[in-house]
Amino acid sequence: MALTILIVDDSPAMRAFIRRVAKLSGIDVDCYLEAANGQEALAQLAAHPVDAVLTDINMPVMDGETFVREMRGDGPFQSTPVIVISTDATTERIQTMHELGAVGYLQKPFGPEQLRNELDRVLGVRHE
Amino acid sequence: MNELDHLIGALLHSCSEHILETMFFAAVFDNADSQASNGCKRVASRLHFHGKPSGDFEVDADPGIARSLTAGFLGIEENEVTPAQEDQVMAEFCNMTCGSALSSLGRVEYFSLETPEASRPHEFAPTVDGVRRAFLLEGGTLSVCLRVDFESAAQSG
Repeated sequence: MALTILIVDDSPAMRAFIRRVAKLSGIDVDCYLEAANGQEALAQLAAHPVDAVLTDINMPVMDGETFVREMRGDGPFQSTPVIVISTDATTERIQTMHELGAVGYLQKPFGPEQLRNELDRVLGVRHE
Repeated sequence: MNELDHLIGALLHSCSEHILETMFFAAVFDNADSQASNGCKRVASRLHFHGKPSGDFEVDADPGIARSLTAGFLGIEENEVTPAQEDQVMAEFCNMTCGSALSSLGRVEYFSLETPEASRPHEFAPTVDGVRRAFLLEGGTLSVCLRVDFESAAQSG
């Protein structure tokens, strides 16, 4: 099944890298949507059905914590899986993001295999 | 050099090497003289982080290295790389290496990285007074420097 992935990161270079790595990993992606912050991401989610969200934490306007909290509110995106992509691998940060509703956490640096494994795991959990 | 500085130096080496190989498809050939880039034309990026601890991180590279790393990161040809892309990619390297080193440091409780600031000095002078490591890559050098301040974080926290 071809996926629609929403990439949320304030760095255009990082968004391009994620697209590149996803392609190298062999993940079947039909459509990449992009947002530079949580606010733009919520607008994308409202306009398009999305299979999974890959989000950074440190972003202007609306950061990743606020974005995931908003997603997990009463809106229609509660069940959309969210994978956090961050350099921050401290226990406190990972725990916070999971408590907010992220179902995956990918620490930078990562390569194609790690991205594929995490997406497979998260989407598998979703379909169980 | 104290024990913490030794640890930071080792982490800067391992994190930089791992990130360069994994995300930039670039190999570190050897260590380089960490003072050799002073006064030279460089592409640099610097960020401040706050939390427990707070501090600063800086990366600087030969312009040719910045270009080749950008091409490797984005999967494009070097002649397609723009200065804006170089700044973005050097900022990503700055962000990732700092975050990885802090996450591995052990004594870190939490931290938040501010947005990196890019610069292109014709005569580079380090702006971060911390533990510095330099690496020889194909075609030039790249240096990283991390300053970690546990004491002011403890006082403010």
